[in-house]
Amino acid sequence: MLAIENTLFTIVMLAYFAAMILYFAFIAVKKEAVARVAVALQIAGFALHTAALVCRGIGAGRLPLTNQYEFATSFAWGLCLVSLIFIIRYKFPVLGAFAAPVIFLIIGYAAMQSKDVKALMPSLRSNWLGFHVSTAIIAYGAFGVSFVLSVIFLLRDRMKASGFLDQHIPNREKLDMLSYRSVSLGLLFLTFTIITGAIWAERAWGSYWSWDPKETWSLVTWIIYAVYLHLRLRRGWRGRSAAIFAVVGFICVLFTYLGVNTWLPGVHSYA
Amino acid sequence: MTMLKKFWKFISSMRFAIALLLILALACAAASLIPQNQTYEWYSQRYSERTAALIMALRLDDAFHSAWFIAITAFLCVNLLLCNLLRLPQLIRRTRAESRPEGALKLSGDISAPDVDDPEAAFARLRMPRPAPCKAEDGRDALFAARHTAGLWGAWVCHLGILLLILGFGLGQMTQKQYAVHGVPGQIRRIGDTACFLSIDDFRIDTREDGSVAQYTTDITVENTASVGPAGGSASVSVNHPAVLCGMKFYQNATGWAARVDVYKDGAPIQQEVVCAGDYLSVKDREGLVVMLNAFYPDYVMTPGVGPSTASDQLNNPAYLYSIYYQGQMVGMNALMADEKVTIDQYTVTFSDPQTYTLIQVKVDRFTPLALAGGLVTLLGLLLALYVQPARVWAIRQDDGRWTLYGQSRKGGALFRERFEKAIKEK
Ligand code: HEM
Repeated sequence: MLAIENTLFTIVMLAYFAAMILYFAFIAVKKEAVARVAVALQIAGFALHTAALVCRGIGAGRLPLTNQYEFATSFAWGLCLVSLIFIIRYKFPVLGAFAAPVIFLIIGYAAMQSKDVKALMPSLRSNWLGFHVSTAIIAYGAFGVSFVLSVIFLLRDRMKASGFLDQHIPNREKLDMLSYRSVSLGLLFLTFTIITGAIWAERAWGSYWSWDPKETWSLVTWIIYAVYLHLRLRRGWRGRSAAIFAVVGFICVLFTYLGVNTWLPGVHSYA
Repeated sequence: MTMLKKFWKFISSMRFAIALLLILALACAAASLIPQNQTYEWYSQRYSERTAALIMALRLDDAFHSAWFIAITAFLCVNLLLCNLLRLPQLIRRTRAESRPEGALKLSGDISAPDVDDPEAAFARLRMPRPAPCKAEDGRDALFAARHTAGLWGAWVCHLGILLLILGFGLGQMTQKQYAVHGVPGQIRRIGDTACFLSIDDFRIDTREDGSVAQYTTDITVENTASVGPAGGSASVSVNHPAVLCGMKFYQNATGWAARVDVYKDGAPIQQEVVCAGDYLSVKDREGLVVMLNAFYPDYVMTPGVGPSTASDQLNNPAYLYSIYYQGQMVGMNALMADEKVTIDQYTVTFSDPQTYTLIQVKVDRFTPLALAGGLVTLLGLLLALYVQPARVWAIRQDDGRWTLYGQSRKGGALFRERFEKAIKEK
């Protein structure tokens, strides 16, 4: 099973890479047929990615959500899922051109991690861990999409007006709205993540909140996105300022996910 | 008076909330970058003396329990409470108004479309409830429907949840009691200063084929010796599976090494106890004579310049690091291999039978359920605020018998307007 997973993982990486190139080509040659192939390729990659995760789950005999490799590949999976939802639902293939590099970077990071299946230490053997990490994947995926949308928003102002642009990139108001929808999804799931994490910590360590760096940074991230929501309600803060906040928020997400493990010690250091 | 009013307004304003939230985020970020609960000496070695002095002065060494951190949180709570209280009457009024046609029919909506032949079908396509017939101000026929007014309450419910959460956490921090009890099977220990005694009935370490640990389990019995309070009972406690007994919660927390200590006087055995690493034994026969088991190394190695350590968890080369005190003065300290003895005056001490002890954490926090409820209410509020979008749609009959359709959704924005236009086009 793990051998199958390994092969699938390589194919998935190639598929995402090809999708990324095709999305770029779509912007370069401005042909919708190219975009359709790119989306189809991303969908195929996503399906295989799902299969790879299932294989790993079966091979390891548990949810594939417990170490750096598994979380990185799942993070890429979540971002792929949420971006596909936005690409298809809002007919927005240009989003793919910006999301695909981020997905490719994350899955590339996963590829550099050790793929060994290690036996779980007792504290990690909990159903709450499953809820905790799977909600985190959706939250991070959604924040990733809002980051990408905000970058598009910020770039759109600098791009020259053209028919292609107007046809394929939503106007500023709609971009802002889409970013808001994805932050909403992210914040809802991040709240789930924090609550399930607290419940798990209480059962495993006897304390539901102990200001461990990872907990603290998830709170910082949560607050940043809460501020984003409030700023949007104020006149004059929609659009550009909100977009900048969404970018900062995603930097916090990345720091919570990578920086904390690398630079700050804590109970979360192993995952 | 106006000053006071302005002050209230500011204290309950969203501007203040945003400022507080940003300060809180910055404070958390800063505190997470500085290792917490270290001494001045530690900080001055790691950074510089000036930085260390600054850290101590600002209480950044224990930021999350410092007065300023608690003050920010308290301000946040006051801010939230006032905001929610002040907005409540307005919110009730608005909820009523939004579900009735009177207000809406006067408006031009966020978007409108003339010349609609079949307004009821348009309502259905917009996924609105069946519209109710009513009259516009000028007496024309009108239709009106509102949906999801509960969404108006999202922010309010979310803020209430955050208040409950902070309240539950804060009260918990102030009133919680925590104890740690450790020992080996057969031992009975008092739980802190309570009237309850914990007996360790059994301790098991389940390992997998590869030798890794799958689970630690302690069977415990708790007895309440006071005449009041809940009676005790027995339970199995393992990692991720705490148990509640005597109103306290028991967690499997850690494990470590213990050893049997035998004391002989003039060659005759006088005392025998199992002592956990870090614990001591007081020799009953001689007041002030104490034997401490500082550490146990199952696979002892001594590296010059580094000190003693263990090469593995296997009992390949067991060694006991002990110290002996008399009247508070250390009179001996050494590492002892198995079968070796220590002799002081007419007393001889041996260490043997290394075994693992269990550490059970005991906690009483009555406010955990409040914090959990707060978290769930916050979640519900977010769901309402972000996913339940109130909308109103109404139609007014034109002179030619067709209808003008209007729609309004504060939250829906561009997406609502897009759906509205689509619903009109679809026909
Ligand atoms: C600390 C004090 C806070 C104050 C005084 C405050 C105040 C407000 C106000 C006045 C609104 C507008 C309500 C409306 O339009 O109906 C609002 C909206 C909201 N607040 Fe807060 N807030 C605070 C903290 C938070 C926090 C920490 C969160 C956590 C997520 C939060 C979540 C929300 C949400 C979800 C909305 C609705 C946003 C939207 O509709 O897009 N608030 N807040």
